[in-house]
Amino acid sequence: MATATATLAASVRSRRPAWAAFRKAVTRTPGRLAGLIIIVFFVLMGICGPWFYGRLAVDPNALYAPPSAKHWLGTDFAGSDVLQEVVTGARYVLATAALSALFTSLFGVTIGLVAGYQRGLTDSVLMRLTDFVLTIPGLPLLILLSTVWSFGSPWEMGLVLGITGWGGVARAVRAQALSLRERGFLEAARGLGLSRRHIIVKEMLPNIAPYATMQLMLSMIAFVGAEVGLFFLGLVPFSSTNWGVMLNQAVFSGGAMETPAALIYLLAPLVCILLLTLGIVLFLDAIDELFNPRLRERA
Amino acid sequence: MTGFARRLAGKLATGLVMVWVVVTFTFFLVHALPGKPGDVQYEQYIMMGMSSDQAAAKVQAVYGFTSHDSLLSQYGGYLAKLAHGDLGQSITYSGVPVSHLIWSALPWTVIPVLTGLLISFLFGVIGGIVAAVKRSSRWGGLLTVSGSLVAGIPAFVLALLMLVVFHTEWNLLPDAGTSDIQYDPGWNLPYIGSVAQHAVLPVCAYALLSYGGWLLAMKSSVVSVLGDDFILASELRGIAPVTRARYIGRNAILPLFTVLALSFGVMFAGSFFIEDTFDYPGLGDLLLKSIGGRDYPVMAGAFLLITVSIIIANIIADLCYTLIDPRVRR
Repeated sequence: MATATATLAASVRSRRPAWAAFRKAVTRTPGRLAGLIIIVFFVLMGICGPWFYGRLAVDPNALYAPPSAKHWLGTDFAGSDVLQEVVTGARYVLATAALSALFTSLFGVTIGLVAGYQRGLTDSVLMRLTDFVLTIPGLPLLILLSTVWSFGSPWEMGLVLGITGWGGVARAVRAQALSLRERGFLEAARGLGLSRRHIIVKEMLPNIAPYATMQLMLSMIAFVGAEVGLFFLGLVPFSSTNWGVMLNQAVFSGGAMETPAALIYLLAPLVCILLLTLGIVLFLDAIDELFNPRLRERA
Repeated sequence: MTGFARRLAGKLATGLVMVWVVVTFTFFLVHALPGKPGDVQYEQYIMMGMSSDQAAAKVQAVYGFTSHDSLLSQYGGYLAKLAHGDLGQSITYSGVPVSHLIWSALPWTVIPVLTGLLISFLFGVIGGIVAAVKRSSRWGGLLTVSGSLVAGIPAFVLALLMLVVFHTEWNLLPDAGTSDIQYDPGWNLPYIGSVAQHAVLPVCAYALLSYGGWLLAMKSSVVSVLGDDFILASELRGIAPVTRARYIGRNAILPLFTVLALSFGVMFAGSFFIEDTFDYPGLGDLLLKSIGGRDYPVMAGAFLLITVSIIIANIIADLCYTLIDPRVRR
């Protein structure tokens, strides 16, 4: 909770974290810059990737071909280019992660703010609901739901992931809202007779936004894991090529654990997930420092 | 101590309400799925040549309800069965009680998870202290990043990478199962050795799964304790660093009990991936197989058990917290 209070203090002091401060925090260590570059790289891959490639080409004469000038990362069990699969598969993975993070923060921030500001009965009801969402284990629930829901588009998958994942964010935002509520400027706003909606949206939300952004990025990591995992376990119909499908086929039908030829087909999506996680983690380190001055050591 | 007893009773009551909510939720969820659990069995009996009355009676006996009853009475029947500890019978292993399947799967999840938790606690807490004290040095930064990275990497990615390195590349450790089939299960040395060998990778995967959580929580906790006045005061009073470290450690470790509850959740969720990847016959594997076979009673039972264990872990973590930290007691 100390972190949260410190975050709050920092954000209250300067409403708009200046661009210069951001740049300074990001460029302070090479790692953080690398993180930003990795994120930008993957976002570009998700947006532009499918433009470069047409349909997935199948080359029956080159099954499990080793890396070559034609196929930079070799081919898979059906003779498709591994690099192409990785690049075109990024869009579904990233879109789902972004959408689910969006839904999570939407539900979490709204519920947390309202509960923290209203208190009383609304608070109790919303918090019991939050407890419930927190207790039901998200992943097993998703696995159960996958028996009825096909998660065909990133929107569906993102919505369901978001619905199962907002509990933690709501709790944290509520804690901050409770402490924020007692501050002078909010008391002043109440004294001025500003509407509840104005206070929540215009006064409280901007102060919680930085923290919510961090939560959003953190939850993205978890969601990438969850969605790719569902495909990996083979619980979701393979509606599109993506990293999870690649992993599933490499392990369960490609025999990647036994034949070195299939290894690269397995490793390519794995390395992508690792890199993406690393990128977000490194970048979050910078955001953390920006909003959490207590982490800066006393010189 | 009466205060503690009252807290315990309160926690248990909320826990029971939660279990009831989850049971209800599971019941209606499973009933929203296509192919009612009773119906699948009913059709199987019809196929086996029973008359429809006979089949309905049989389903009634097995499940406590048939899908012709109203939803409410089906729900009542389900609750009544549950109250007697009866989770129903499996469809794929026809006639085997679900509780039996769960009991035999349980040790393969719980023992590796607990072992992994213990190992990761040890490394995570020590790493967290180092990362907090040395947070502006390169090593401190690296430790922190290692924690966030490991906390962020999905379970199956860890498991697969470990398999690639330790099985495919170096062939040091087995990739599947709980033991080699050549040994007789029982208390003999070769079998136990084989089990231990097969458990190395899953246990390490579980340990890695929760290591990051411990490290990050301990780090942020130590950082905030370092800023407390009593640390500064003890520093000014010239108290020996070892004693100071004890002060810090004792105060910083408290928030970690909340992480304990979280870790349980993470690891049970991770158990799907880890058990599937290493072909380990635990609870996660059971739930996955029951989904593959549309075995609704097993699905509901396994899901229920996973949820209940998370609720219990939450209660235990809460109680530990109040026992250890006098400030929480009121």
